[in-house]
Amino acid sequence: MKQMMNFRINETIKLNLILAACVSIGLLTSCEEEVYPETGSIVDKTPPSAAFSATQGVGLNDEWMTYTFSNQSSSATDFAWDFGDGNSSTDFEPSNEYSGEGTFDVKLTATDKLGVSSTYSEQIVIVEPEAPEAIIPPIYEASFEDNSLPDGTGDGRDSWRLSGAGVIQITSSPVYEGSQAAKFPSAGDRAAYQVLEVTPNSDYTLTYYYTMKTSPTGGNVTVWILPGEVSEFSQIDTDQAIASFAGTDQSSSNDYAKVDLPFSTGANDKVAILVTNELVESRVDSMSITAD
Amino acid sequence: MRYLKYTLFFALIALISSCEEGYLEPAPTSVISSANYYTTPDQVESAVINIYDGIQGVWDFNMDENRALQLEFYLTEMRSDNTRTKSSEGEAAQFESYSVEATNGIVANYYQSYYNVVYRVNVVLENLDAAGSMAAKYEAEAKFLRAYAYFNLVRLFGDIPLVDSVISPEDKATAYTRVASAEIYNLIISDLTTAISGLDNSSSYRASKTAAQTLLAKVHLNKGEYLEAQQLCESIVESGNYALEANFKDVFYSEGNDEVIFAIGYIGDSNEAQNFSAEWLNAVGRTSGVNYVTNDAKAALDAMGGDRTMYSYRNDVSQVTQNQVAKYIPNGDSTLGISSTSSDPQRAGNDWIVLRYADVLLLHVESILAGGASTTSAAALSSFNLIRNRAGLANDADGTITKQELMDERRVELAFENHRLFDLMRMGEAQNVLSAFAISVGVGFTSSDLLLPIPQREINLSGGDMSQNPGY
Repeated sequence: MKQMMNFRINETIKLNLILAACVSIGLLTSCEEEVYPETGSIVDKTPPSAAFSATQGVGLNDEWMTYTFSNQSSSATDFAWDFGDGNSSTDFEPSNEYSGEGTFDVKLTATDKLGVSSTYSEQIVIVEPEAPEAIIPPIYEASFEDNSLPDGTGDGRDSWRLSGAGVIQITSSPVYEGSQAAKFPSAGDRAAYQVLEVTPNSDYTLTYYYTMKTSPTGGNVTVWILPGEVSEFSQIDTDQAIASFAGTDQSSSNDYAKVDLPFSTGANDKVAILVTNELVESRVDSMSITAD
Repeated sequence: MRYLKYTLFFALIALISSCEEGYLEPAPTSVISSANYYTTPDQVESAVINIYDGIQGVWDFNMDENRALQLEFYLTEMRSDNTRTKSSEGEAAQFESYSVEATNGIVANYYQSYYNVVYRVNVVLENLDAAGSMAAKYEAEAKFLRAYAYFNLVRLFGDIPLVDSVISPEDKATAYTRVASAEIYNLIISDLTTAISGLDNSSSYRASKTAAQTLLAKVHLNKGEYLEAQQLCESIVESGNYALEANFKDVFYSEGNDEVIFAIGYIGDSNEAQNFSAEWLNAVGRTSGVNYVTNDAKAALDAMGGDRTMYSYRNDVSQVTQNQVAKYIPNGDSTLGISSTSSDPQRAGNDWIVLRYADVLLLHVESILAGGASTTSAAALSSFNLIRNRAGLANDADGTITKQELMDERRVELAFENHRLFDLMRMGEAQNVLSAFAISVGVGFTSSDLLLPIPQREINLSGGDMSQNPGY
């Protein structure tokens, strides 16, 4: 029994010695490593990343010169903005008023407390917004002349055809100007149709000239402004017309009467001109369009 | 005889093989399962009604229940310059101070509720075969509601998971993969296009053609597609199915009126009741008062509201420095001539108006303004002045509607109807307006506060695969 006890004591002493040795080794080792202060730190896996977007102001005065910046940086604490016009800021989301039109390189530097930084630049081009001007659409073969398409070809009516309707005829006398005009025989089975690209919600005036035979009476030659575009005559619904004018001036078969047909495009970026006649032979010439 | 033997032999084999599928896994005949329930059009319609039930939300104060629409004001109006809590308490106050946490339970509840609505829609879409001749209508109705749910989710959370079929709990890839918002918008537009062609205007408590057109117009405005938005608004105006109520009060207190395009119905003193109306009042709901009117909104209504002001906010009689929303009052107001919608105000019957005609008229103006600073268009002025005249105000004085005038008009016309935040975001003015507002009330706003955090619970369930929105 006593022997056993001795054995146990010996064991304990031995263990203590080992423990002491380990501790001192540990101390030595840890002392050594204290030389390097970064020991135990881990790599920053999310370094700063700089990003932003810019929005131009909208208003009646000079709001267009002011840009607001939205900061989309991540993992950063400090921000330095260079607006490219000499101005700078350290705000999180600043705005900057520029002096006028121009191109500016905006630079954002995002930094964290480890001193790591990231830079993002974007070029902004500042232009004063113009009051939107309406497009003036070209009217092709507006005077129904031969070879008057932009490429120098055409028979004066190529731009006016619509499937399902008879093509207009060409007359050389009387004309309002040039050497040809459009002719609509008394049968009323012809139509001129052309689509124009326009600016929505804008006011335009279509100007044209017409003349009619003096008899029979009671006829008309009508110009319609229709919304949108169709590919077949049967799809046309003149009840939907934005504007129309029915010419009934039969006082002279030689003299042309001038018509100004104003219309507003509304919610359409395309409108069509349609010309038809009823009962009496009619002529139309020299179309033009202006924006009001 | 010899051939007969072979024939019998093959017939036997054929019988055995044909048994295999149904024989070993017979369809249950004494219980209902989701796989065999939908067999008649009526049953599919019950699944359609179930979608509205999901949007309506569960009448409860327990946040474990899907409260859906009944919590929407926290996420929208209380993050705008229109409302706040009365006493800045609890997680409800995170919204007004732009310090929403990813662990916010109200945000998580709304997210979960609206994905549950999407699930209910997908159940209908997968069982259309049983709907017979009604299939096209139910498809259109379900898709409108899915578009409505996704449109709210995408505006609140940005890129979100796109779930367009019934998925199993194992399908983590679909449930937790954030899809670019542009793709979400593609689904919304496709769903609304189906809805417009398959619906009529028979009820304002169910999806309708006009409701789908209005929502689509708003989607186009969000994307800067002004001409499409204008055409939709004009076709609603030209249809003549809707009109402004002569009296602004009747919009809210004469339910089912001609101005309402789409509303979620509630029935007082029942399980189909709502409790948000009570929450907005002092000592009527459970909270200490939420969705209280900011001084900023009060000033705007006082200056520009006209006849609308008295039916938009009222003074809190038990605390006179505070102002309450006067739309959707549950327990009546004798001074304003409003009667109660239930005997228990916490179980209120006030419907929630999602879309109304006044909204369409102002969207029409916005589509003509087309991102510009002002417009003098006669069509825009006509719509704009209809709104002003109904409020007892004169026509626009100078015949030019500026962007600021339009934003102000929308704010006072649609105050406290959960439009303000979305309007500011859509019109590109959220950062300017809310930064200035935050400074004036002493809180910090940054542009990353416009999107809510993805609920932390979703990120946890995804095993960390789902990314968080910036700033959270």
